[in-house]
Amino acid sequence: MRRRRRPAPNRTPFPLATYQEISAFLAGVERRAFKQAMFAVRNEDAALDIVQDAMLKLTEKYAGKPPAELPMLFQRILQNTIHDHFRRQKVRSTWTTVLSALGKGAEKDDDYDPLETIAAKQDSNIPVDPADQLQQVQVVALIEQALARLPARQREAFLLRYWEEFDVSETAAAMGCSEGSVKTHCSRAVHALAETLKAKGVTP
Amino acid sequence: MIEKNQYFAKKITAYLDFGSANLKAGTAYRLQRARAEALARLTDPKRASRPGLVPAFAGSGSGTMGSGRGFRNGARLWLGIALIVAAGIGYQQWQGWQQLKDIEETDAAILSSDLPIDAYLDRGFQNWLKTLGED
Repeated sequence: MRRRRRPAPNRTPFPLATYQEISAFLAGVERRAFKQAMFAVRNEDAALDIVQDAMLKLTEKYAGKPPAELPMLFQRILQNTIHDHFRRQKVRSTWTTVLSALGKGAEKDDDYDPLETIAAKQDSNIPVDPADQLQQVQVVALIEQALARLPARQREAFLLRYWEEFDVSETAAAMGCSEGSVKTHCSRAVHALAETLKAKGVTP
Repeated sequence: MIEKNQYFAKKITAYLDFGSANLKAGTAYRLQRARAEALARLTDPKRASRPGLVPAFAGSGSGTMGSGRGFRNGARLWLGIALIVAAGIGYQQWQGWQQLKDIEETDAAILSSDLPIDAYLDRGFQNWLKTLGED
């Protein structure tokens, strides 16, 4: 008996609305994700790789999820990708140190200058006065430096809680820790940032 | 206290927003390309299994996104192969040099000896040397 062929799967790639939602979500989150990765790894190329990997994982594996779950999913993917980067770097560093003697400067941590990542445009929300503009850029650079120097968990909690505007339970879920830990990390991060910036004469 | 923290955090994040809104044009472009690549996977899932086909990012300088990483891994592979080949060639050269050195030493010993070279070719003389050694 001849088996009935199953109907061919719908070749329409993706419902347009969902595609647009994912596209809009990624467009809205990509710059913040890049900055988050940058604070963690302090290398532009590595940060861009991390964001790209996170985006690819989201679209490849979790595209079928409801749009409301995307921010949380993306943050978890992003944080995992950052952790993977550090794991790979640790393994790699065992033998790249030998090659580094040959003059291969793999990391450019010392050369990192946050000012280079900021190129102010002539937008309405930027002060027209060049002095004010320069001051704002310098404050941003100092804040970014202070954030980059925070312990990883504190920075993660601060950025998720206040920049991504997750609530405490969402932040805890994204970080894989308790809500109490999130509160502690956030509080410590705020105090550490305030002290660092105060020491540099910055009052945001 | 919590409100104070939140107020402070809000001011900090406003600066972070400013920083992220004013990324370098090149960085913003590369992010845009990365997003386009990720979205292409939605419409063409087959691309997921072919990471090597991620297009190069034009003008990315020393960037490592997409094929840049492939290039980096490829460079490492070629470096490893080059090291192995160099080691092989080096070993061969060293062996040849050792052989030459041995021959030179033998020649020097023969030439500096009081005995004529013909003596070494004389079977009778060699037999005489052997019997001398046995005694």
